[in-house]
Amino acid sequence: MKAHRWYTPWLLVVPALAFLGAFSLWPAINTLLLSFTNVHTLTGGRFIGAANYTRLWHDPQLWDAIINTLLYMAVCVPLLTFLPLLLAMLVQRTLPFMGFFRTVFYFPVIASAVTVALIWQWLLDDRGLVNDLATEVGVVHKAVPFLEDRWLLLFSAIALTVWKGLGYYMVLYLSALGNVRRELHEAAAVDGAGGVRRFWHVTLPGVRGTTLLVSILIGVSAMRVFTELYILGGSTGGIGGQDVSLVFLIEQYGSGFDGQLGYASALSVLLFVLTAVPLIVLARLNRRNEG
Amino acid sequence: MRTSRLGSVAAFGVAASLVLSGCGVGGGSGGGDSQQTVSSAGSLSGSIAFQTWSLKNATFTPYFTSLIKAFEKLHPGTAINWIDQPGANYPDKVTSQVTGDSLPDVVNLPPDIAHTVAKTGDLLDLTKNDPSIAQTYVASGLSAYEYKDTGTGGDSFAFPWYLGTDVNYWNKAMLAKDGLSTTDLPTSLDQLIADAKIMHDKSGGKDYLMSRAPGLMDFANAGAPLLDSAGTAFAFNTPAAVKVLQQYTAAYQAGYLPSNVLTSTYEGNSALFLKQEVAWTTGGGNYIQSTEQTNPSLVSSIVPSAAIGTPPLYVQGISVSSKSRNLPLALAFAEYVTNSANQAAFIQLAQGFEPGTKDASTLAATNDVGMQAQASAIAEKDVENGVNFTPPIWTSAMDTILNQQIALAMTGKESAKTALDNVVTQANALLGQ
Repeated sequence: MKAHRWYTPWLLVVPALAFLGAFSLWPAINTLLLSFTNVHTLTGGRFIGAANYTRLWHDPQLWDAIINTLLYMAVCVPLLTFLPLLLAMLVQRTLPFMGFFRTVFYFPVIASAVTVALIWQWLLDDRGLVNDLATEVGVVHKAVPFLEDRWLLLFSAIALTVWKGLGYYMVLYLSALGNVRRELHEAAAVDGAGGVRRFWHVTLPGVRGTTLLVSILIGVSAMRVFTELYILGGSTGGIGGQDVSLVFLIEQYGSGFDGQLGYASALSVLLFVLTAVPLIVLARLNRRNEG
Repeated sequence: MRTSRLGSVAAFGVAASLVLSGCGVGGGSGGGDSQQTVSSAGSLSGSIAFQTWSLKNATFTPYFTSLIKAFEKLHPGTAINWIDQPGANYPDKVTSQVTGDSLPDVVNLPPDIAHTVAKTGDLLDLTKNDPSIAQTYVASGLSAYEYKDTGTGGDSFAFPWYLGTDVNYWNKAMLAKDGLSTTDLPTSLDQLIADAKIMHDKSGGKDYLMSRAPGLMDFANAGAPLLDSAGTAFAFNTPAAVKVLQQYTAAYQAGYLPSNVLTSTYEGNSALFLKQEVAWTTGGGNYIQSTEQTNPSLVSSIVPSAAIGTPPLYVQGISVSSKSRNLPLALAFAEYVTNSANQAAFIQLAQGFEPGTKDASTLAATNDVGMQAQASAIAEKDVENGVNFTPPIWTSAMDTILNQQIALAMTGKESAKTALDNVVTQANALLGQ
């Protein structure tokens, strides 16, 4: 058999590398460079050193954005890592109508995020279905300010994200659960392990790789939350802009014909750093567990 | 293991670039020369592009088609390529045209977009190139395109084309039901709030008169100067503006405004008026005519009145790109589109708007009848007295800050004074960035 030339593997990966370089690496480097300039959408572009990073510390909205974003991630990661697993274990069983329930749970995934958020907005409005029902039943005497109170709006958005994401991650877990050998469950049962112990010692280790993948995916997407807060809180980010996320701020500063692209780039770099830290922690935890 | 570590590093690098590139942003553009001298007096030839904003439809397409044909006939050997951009995201479209050096030769721009484009030097100074501009066009329209932070001073970057204003519209059926006069309509904020209280009390909180938060126009109408004397910084955090915000706050907290006026579910006062949930809205001079399409049953209940205080002025203008490769033709066509005869013909179709030249309104005949005629007459008068309240240096980012701080004040999370101080401080900080 004729030996490959040394450059053959490189030749094969060139298209992928070119694509990655043009559409991922270069924009990333460009963002970093722009963060040191005063570039606006149509004007500027002068090097201003670390002025954009200094400005971050004095931005009154930034701390709200960081708190909201980290809280979003802190709540979404555990909920969307474990609830879909429990759901997958439920619908995995061969019971009547399970196909129907799988479809029902997956349905929010195929719906557009904007459409779903708009439906939730109508539901949670002062005169929406939720408040109407709660008032009719007598649970509350006046409308619950879901879309006005800072924390209620944030947790409504988190609930929406969790509800919409359940089906997607459930499907990932269904696939992973299929790879957990039935014999392990049977052996554990023979040894006297109950349902909870089998879950902890057989199911969970069996889907650990998927759990890590799911938690990373959720972590990254939670750090990039935008649509839910934008639709529920409006273009100002809730009352007084208290429900903004980091991506929300990037959009706010960077868009439009007067967009401050330099500052928006600095915010993007900050978002990257904040996203990278938990990812590194998760990766290290995983490596330690594997070791 | 070395391989897995290398793999981890590579995977991390890719993930990092994906996160960063997801937020990646572009850059600015090289400027043009706004101070060129151009003459449209000589023989014209060649072709140019002409861009309008959301005007290609059954009403306006025949007008532009014949306008262009007439110009091409007047100047044989010329060709005008008409482009119309959809209504949504026009600023983004113009932005990409400027950054891509593809701004059409003649372009319809409102004052705020024109200001940003003028700052790049991409719009031709028309004062320098049309000596009779001040005699031809209405001063209020021209002033909307005169910017202190760009050009050489006294420049104007567009020919005023069509001008709009706000007329008050009242639902007389709702007013009468709640014991309010249908003829003695509010002419001040105090009266408006007093009537809003009566309507609220009489209807048990079901009907509303007011349905919007205050804005720059309200502060200016209360006597607060929006800018300092130099015109380079915001200064509307005055006691007069604080009082206006306090009045709105008290009205909101007393339930005289719908509770969702500050949230994302707020549909706007015009939509609420059409649904007959509120009894007052503001709209253009043709609001009654357009309501015939959206809610015909409401039309007979609508009564128009002049705007409270100084009416706002909304201006559309025709600008010339300083980077046009055929500046004489572009300038000539811009003057042609906005001459009195063509503006008069355009206004016949654009009901509720007024022309941007001084003598076009006398040429424009109106077929309006009934309340629409009354509204059109009010609009015509309001345009004469109207002011374009929004300073050109006011940006969308500042507007967001204003709305955020007003919401904080109206929900009692901040005092009106603190909120307005915050807006002015933050907006002025943005000016320097």
